[in-house]
Amino acid sequence: MDLAIKDVRRHLGKFLATIAGVGMLVAIVLIMNGIFQGNIADGIWLIENTRADLWVVERDRGGPFNESSRIPTDSYRSVAATPGVARASPFISYAVQREIGDREQQFTIIGYDVFGGLGEPGRIIAGRPIRRAHYELVADRKLGLALGQTLRLGVHDYTVVGLTRGAVDSGGNPLAYLSLPDAQEVLYQQDNRALEVQRESDRQRLEDAGYSSTEVERLLPLLGGGSATISAVLVALTPGADRDAVARHIERWLYLSAYTTEQERELMLEGKLKRMTAILGVFRTLLLAVAIVIIALLIYVLTMEKVRAIATLKIIGAGDGVIVRLILEQALVLTLGSFAFGWALTTATQDKFPRNLVLLPEETMLTFIIMLVGGVLASLMGIWHALRTPPSLALGG
Amino acid sequence: MTILRVNHLKHVFGSGELAVTALEEIDFAVEAGELMALLGPSGSGKSTLLLCISLILAPTAGSIEIDGQTVYAEGWAHRESRRLRREKIGFIFQGHNLIPFLSARDNIVLALELNGVGRRSARQRADELLDYLEVTHRANALPGNLSGGEQQRVAIGRALANEPPLILADEPTASLDTERGGRVMELLKRIARERNSAVITVTHDERMIAGFDTVRRLRDGRLLVAEEYT
Ligand SMILES: Nc1ncnc2c1ncn2[C@@H]1O[C@H](COP(=O)(O)OP(=O)(O)OP(=O)(O)O)[C@@H](O)[C@H]1O
Ligand SMILES: [Mg+2]
Repeated sequence: MDLAIKDVRRHLGKFLATIAGVGMLVAIVLIMNGIFQGNIADGIWLIENTRADLWVVERDRGGPFNESSRIPTDSYRSVAATPGVARASPFISYAVQREIGDREQQFTIIGYDVFGGLGEPGRIIAGRPIRRAHYELVADRKLGLALGQTLRLGVHDYTVVGLTRGAVDSGGNPLAYLSLPDAQEVLYQQDNRALEVQRESDRQRLEDAGYSSTEVERLLPLLGGGSATISAVLVALTPGADRDAVARHIERWLYLSAYTTEQERELMLEGKLKRMTAILGVFRTLLLAVAIVIIALLIYVLTMEKVRAIATLKIIGAGDGVIVRLILEQALVLTLGSFAFGWALTTATQDKFPRNLVLLPEETMLTFIIMLVGGVLASLMGIWHALRTPPSLALGG
Repeated sequence: MTILRVNHLKHVFGSGELAVTALEEIDFAVEAGELMALLGPSGSGKSTLLLCISLILAPTAGSIEIDGQTVYAEGWAHRESRRLRREKIGFIFQGHNLIPFLSARDNIVLALELNGVGRRSARQRADELLDYLEVTHRANALPGNLSGGEQQRVAIGRALANEPPLILADEPTASLDTERGGRVMELLKRIARERNSAVITVTHDERMIAGFDTVRRLRDGRLLVAEEYT
């Protein structure tokens, strides 16, 4: 006869309620794990998916994602001319907040050379990549845009021609891809009124500097156009090229900074992500500890509730094995049940979760093992108590 | 054949100033099939004696022999007291002490299974006992939902399940009405006759002892001279 199962069946409601409660706690721990890993995965998604050999940015800047980096659009040509460089493409990225579908949304616009340049969107799940120089957009589906829909950015409408899944910036916000000139236009172009104001202030500065009005008229257009910059140059190396040597060459001769993908990732993990991941790490450790303490307490209480029955078992001659099994099995039912429930809950809600959850199987496994060990250790406490219970305890009261 | 022999048994609760000597200089023997009644006022040590015999309480001094085997002698106690109880002793408590999360039937089945009886025959045997004790209709009920008398009868069934050579019953009729109490006593007598088990029954009630082979009386932890009934 399996005593543990009999007891569980008699107190099914209590056990189910406990499993549901602890299971939710487990779900929170797993979701925390997911957020923790999701945070890291989001943080480096763009870096990893761009697959550039080198990221060339403004000198001594930790860019283009951790710090703003502005370099002249043309600098990609000089980079391309560096020995060992197979391809160099301009790349721009900046965060915007716009209303899309009645909702204020934060997203990052990526501008790249749509005609064979690096930095194009990865796997497109619907539609196609950008093929025209202007007014086409590839958006992540998280933005809620449909193929063929148009989005107004600045002074133009952009048509959604492709959709991606899981394309996010380091903060987990979705990406929108534009052609480089479009992206620059959205970033720099102002409407006529703003342009007028800008021209007026430029004119004033030139006149204050003592230029004649004819000179001012000649100089003004030059001032306006000089603001088109990019964030970075993406580099693909020729096969066999020495990555570090090329990077040193670029830094030395072009007065820029060049990072490898690993260095970019390191910058991201050590910079923007560090504090966030540290906080999440502390949280999930605490949560796991709390979950184990609660399971331990429950198992101990369940055992305490049974001491009289256990003493009676001893009186009718049950061996220690029978008693150990009773407690251990219940501990296992509780931990396994809670974990299964928590896991089911997590996977069921994973897609509806507002953040990207990355559930690494090895981490889920580790959490499971920690909980199992915790449950067994907790039941050892109960077992120790049960084995010490004198049979005469069954007679009192 | 002598099933139980108790020599110079002594039991002291606690120690020092708080020490209570519950049993002293207890000497008696019980033969197979013998029905013995143990009488005595409250606090005279009746329960303590049964608990010492079954090694639930460790005696302080003396010796105990069960079925030809020394199970306790001067501070030495049989290492496997639980196996001993399982195989040799059926115990009916003053309280009922059924396992609360097992049904009436399962309480009896458990006692059988602990003794190595297979699941099917254990179930069959339990049903026979329940029938014999007239609680078949409550076989699937939990102890908490049984009346005191029903619990008592299930507890008796559990004590009898393995047909032990020695049955210890601590006021088995306490929670029963006179009629049912009489029937339980009849039952114990029948077991002694039919199965040749020795039965020691504690009781307060002088009226219940008719038909017993031996009556022993305890007072302040000491046995008075036995009366023989023939
Ligand atoms: N756990 C204990 N600690 C200390 N003294 C105890 C303990 N149990 C019993 N005693 C004492 O030992 C003596 C014998 O108790 P016991 O329970 O054997 O009496 P009894 O004859 O069974 O009484 P009753 O008819 O009321 O059941 C009593 O004086 C009691 O107070
Ligand atoms: Mg008593």
